[in-house]
Amino acid sequence: MSRSGRFAAWWPGGDVDPEEGHEPDPRFTFANERTFLAWSRTALALVVAGLGIVQLLPPFPRVPVGRHLLGVPLIILGAVLAIVAYGEWVRNQRALRRGDPLPRSVMPWILAATIAGMAIISAIVLLISALR
Amino acid sequence: MTGPTAREPEKREEREEREPAQRGPEKGEPEEADTGLARERTSLSWTRTAISFAALGGVMLRNNVISGLIILAVTPLIWRVGRLAVSGSPPGQLPVVGRNRILLITVSVVGVSLLCLFIALLGPAVPGALHREGP
Repeated sequence: MSRSGRFAAWWPGGDVDPEEGHEPDPRFTFANERTFLAWSRTALALVVAGLGIVQLLPPFPRVPVGRHLLGVPLIILGAVLAIVAYGEWVRNQRALRRGDPLPRSVMPWILAATIAGMAIISAIVLLISALR
Repeated sequence: MTGPTAREPEKREEREEREPAQRGPEKGEPEEADTGLARERTSLSWTRTAISFAALGGVMLRNNVISGLIILAVTPLIWRVGRLAVSGSPPGQLPVVGRNRILLITVSVVGVSLLCLFIALLGPAVPGALHREGP
């Protein structure tokens, strides 16, 4: 599928016919919805964590931008996760209606990579601030 | 959005053509009559999401009253939308699943993220509020 086609497939009222395929088992529809909501809550938790780091943590010695370095990426990740979660819900719902295998999710990869990156940045900031 | 035709009972031939996972519970299975547990879990999930928004609104009130109030105002809307989804269809049938309902959550989370980003970069901070001095 082309890039524009993929975007249209994500967008409400895009190239997805709501009546296409069969109505899936209600339990699967519910499960897809719960998965989306769980990712949305994860996104909100990341936003709260990022805001808390920037607004409430004491400044790091020798690293004046340390709090922003740690907090701002988490807030941005929260927004990205929410958007990707919507795309995943659309793709999964379409696959359920068509009877296709569920597409592979990129969300765990995004989350794991970002958390690993944040851990490395945190270690660097702490090490620099600890050096006297 | 699920239309009226999707709520009608399926024809037996169409149902049997489909894979077992797609066709859902068979006649006589407990789930066939009522998807109550899945429905209940989804209802609770919507409630947790609304509570998450409320918690974030509460946190934001400390830093920016207007932003906090905006987020708190979204909370009952999300809770109500979740209740509509659960109560809008009879037991054993599909919920009223609409893209716009899911999109509302997405737009809300992205909006809140942008608001928090703005406050994090430009808003007043209380550095050290989590740091307690020893006795």
